[in-house]
Amino acid sequence: MGNKNAKPSPYDYDLVTIGGGSGGVRASRLAAADGKKVAIIELPFDPVSSESTGGFGGTCVIRGCVPKKLFVYGSHFHEEFEDAEGFGWNIHTPPKFNWQHLMAQKTKEITRLNGIYAKMLNNAGAEIFEGRGKLIDAHTVEVTDAAGHKTLLKTANTCIATGGYAFKLPIPGAELGITSDEALTLPDLPRKVCIIGGGYIAVEFAGIFNGLGAEVHLVFRQELPLRGFDEDVRAAVNENLIKRGIIVHPKCNPKSLAEASAGTITVETDSGQLTVNTVMFATGRKPNISRPDLGLSEVGVELDHGAIKVDAFSRTNVNGVWAIGDVTNRVNLTPVALMEGAAMMASAMKGRMTKPDYQYIPSAVFCQPPVASCGLSEQEAVSNGHTCDVYLASFR
Amino acid sequence: MVQGALASFASLRPSMAIRGVRSLSSRFSGSQRSLQNVRKASPRAGMPRTLTVAASEEYDYDLFTIGAGSGGVRCSRMSAGKGAKVAVAELPFSTQASDTTGGVGGTCVIRGCVPKKLLVYGSHFAEDFEDSEGFGWKMNEKPDFDWTKLIASKNKELDRLTGIYKRLLDGSGVELVEGRGTVVDAHTVEVDGKRFTAKNILVAVGGRAFVPDIPGKELVITSDEALDLPKMPKKICIVGSGYIALEFACIFNALGAEVHVYYRQPLPLRGFDEEVRGFLAEQLALKGIVLHPGATPTAVEKTDTGLKLITSDGEQEADEVMFGTGRKPNVKNLGLEEAGVEMADSGAIKVNEISQTTCPSIWAIGDVTDRINLTPVALMEGMALTKTLFDGVPTEPDHTNVACAVFTQPQVATVGLTEEEAMTEFGDIDVYTSSFRPMKNTLSV
Repeated sequence: MGNKNAKPSPYDYDLVTIGGGSGGVRASRLAAADGKKVAIIELPFDPVSSESTGGFGGTCVIRGCVPKKLFVYGSHFHEEFEDAEGFGWNIHTPPKFNWQHLMAQKTKEITRLNGIYAKMLNNAGAEIFEGRGKLIDAHTVEVTDAAGHKTLLKTANTCIATGGYAFKLPIPGAELGITSDEALTLPDLPRKVCIIGGGYIAVEFAGIFNGLGAEVHLVFRQELPLRGFDEDVRAAVNENLIKRGIIVHPKCNPKSLAEASAGTITVETDSGQLTVNTVMFATGRKPNISRPDLGLSEVGVELDHGAIKVDAFSRTNVNGVWAIGDVTNRVNLTPVALMEGAAMMASAMKGRMTKPDYQYIPSAVFCQPPVASCGLSEQEAVSNGHTCDVYLASFR
Repeated sequence: MVQGALASFASLRPSMAIRGVRSLSSRFSGSQRSLQNVRKASPRAGMPRTLTVAASEEYDYDLFTIGAGSGGVRCSRMSAGKGAKVAVAELPFSTQASDTTGGVGGTCVIRGCVPKKLLVYGSHFAEDFEDSEGFGWKMNEKPDFDWTKLIASKNKELDRLTGIYKRLLDGSGVELVEGRGTVVDAHTVEVDGKRFTAKNILVAVGGRAFVPDIPGKELVITSDEALDLPKMPKKICIVGSGYIALEFACIFNALGAEVHVYYRQPLPLRGFDEEVRGFLAEQLALKGIVLHPGATPTAVEKTDTGLKLITSDGEQEADEVMFGTGRKPNVKNLGLEEAGVEMADSGAIKVNEISQTTCPSIWAIGDVTDRINLTPVALMEGMALTKTLFDGVPTEPDHTNVACAVFTQPQVATVGLTEEEAMTEFGDIDVYTSSFRPMKNTLSV
């Protein structure tokens, strides 16, 4: 196999990936399965992410899509119990919900999936390193393990796929608030919760807490939730939140958090005050470019608004350094990271320059009831200069 | 044929296309009412008020429709909306179809899609209750199910819907004539002795459940009766493997009945993708339904305790025996043959691409034409016919890539060619299959 006159490679690896989430694992195992020498670096597993914790599977598997959806399912049963009566069922006493049971089951499942991701990589022939990865130069990656021991990996290509992290508004008392990470590990269901934000994470958790019996306040700056979505959809989501008993505070800016008494927090907004047990910030996610330090500035990797800047092929400005997934802040969805990973692998490993295609990506928001979209919103279509006929169907 | 059709309504008023206001925010928005998509046309600038006088003095109506089901109602009210004088004849309401009973809304609303789906929903709660435990919910006792309560709720909903359909017709200016409509000649319809003339006649009488002629056939029920049983059977034999047989098998099974399904093929759902058929058979069996493939029914007998189904695969006693063995077009005694309307051997009324029968002034849509027997298709055929008759634009309904679903549990949904059809048409194809454990099942088990 291969030309006997070919120069021996100066590198130990064809690809070293920093970050074992959706994109990183996909690119790595495809490359390894193709016979390439691949190493992948990921922080030790923990449901809550930090500078020193993460886990194979990444955000999606450990603290995003998967656990979120399990909680959406869990919270939706409440509606099923209510609906069943009209269909002839008699539920003698209202069913009781045990938060710790669902939490334990969820943690069991994400741990199982985390193990599967590691196994997948092993089976494909990729080498796993647990620890922090950092670029020393375009072809050298330093791995630091839990004990502080460092290993240098010489590689032809590096792929940065470190994902993103939940961002809290930098207001006084923000440290009293939690993010989705902690929400998915709470020891108990809060009685009263205030969610700050109007994006998909905010409305999904609003539905979860509400369905499980908490009093939910949703605070956002816009007039409607889900900015960027079709206006008709935003209005319908808003109506559905309110109809299900979620207290919506539109055009509301949170100013500060303060501890009121043991176990309660007061949220000061520009329109009043709220006292709750738990405050959750769902105010965006930012690319993981320095958490921990990736050595990007030393190596000269350019950023764009806090994300790693890449071209249409996922190449950074540094030859041999690629980046995919949420750290590039293009379309932050797992299937897109998977697509970017596969395209990057083809480009970097097979010499088949492949651009990921960002058109017509369907996505869903698991508020209750859920929203799904694909293609242009009405407003986007109009901004793009199209004359539109709009067809709406509204039915019970 | 099309030329002839055009000639036959050349004397009609000039084309009355709806002049929609096509702007950036032109909308057809729906209403909160019925279970079907309702399109409200945008303002019709410059159009005269709906006339109640037929365009031609020669006839009482521009269009007389026999059958107020999905297709019949859609075509009638859309045509009236374009200014045509329209009447529709429909039998009096009953959940059971017969030569003398039917109802506005038709099969879909009264004894098909709608009630079936309500029963699917009702039966599915059993699985939801089971699944909830894995997600942290605890019930002190198992919930009780009351079949008569579900049927009563279902019937209440049907009453509401048939009322809505009547209001839809009324609101569009369509005259509803209750009774059995028959064709007298190319331009005359008779409804319980009263005669009406029409420029065009639309036959949209749908279909009826078919039971093969075997001894004991009178003991057997069809989906009509299944939707109205006074008591839920503890054990039921279902003959057939089409969507109706299987949907009901899943309904009764989920509600706790012992269910046996008999069919002639090695797999159920003939005509569907082989992979889908195999998967579904596996799922049905996993849910506890007893499948008897390769079995032909030969007789049904009464026993002391209930019924007995005799097949080539043996005998089985049960409380009920249901046949889901197909539906046939409802063409008996309509006067069609005499009017020159040709039918296929199956009884289906033969139509051309624009739904015209062999009698140029008589048209047919929906299940009676046995093309694709789905409500949205009947609606499409109805819309196309309205365009043909009253916009002066001969319009062919497009029967390609029609999406459809089978509400077994779990469901099946399809659109386009099956693998087998694609192989036949294209020869060389790539097939992509994805098999995965549904996330909900990771915790519900």
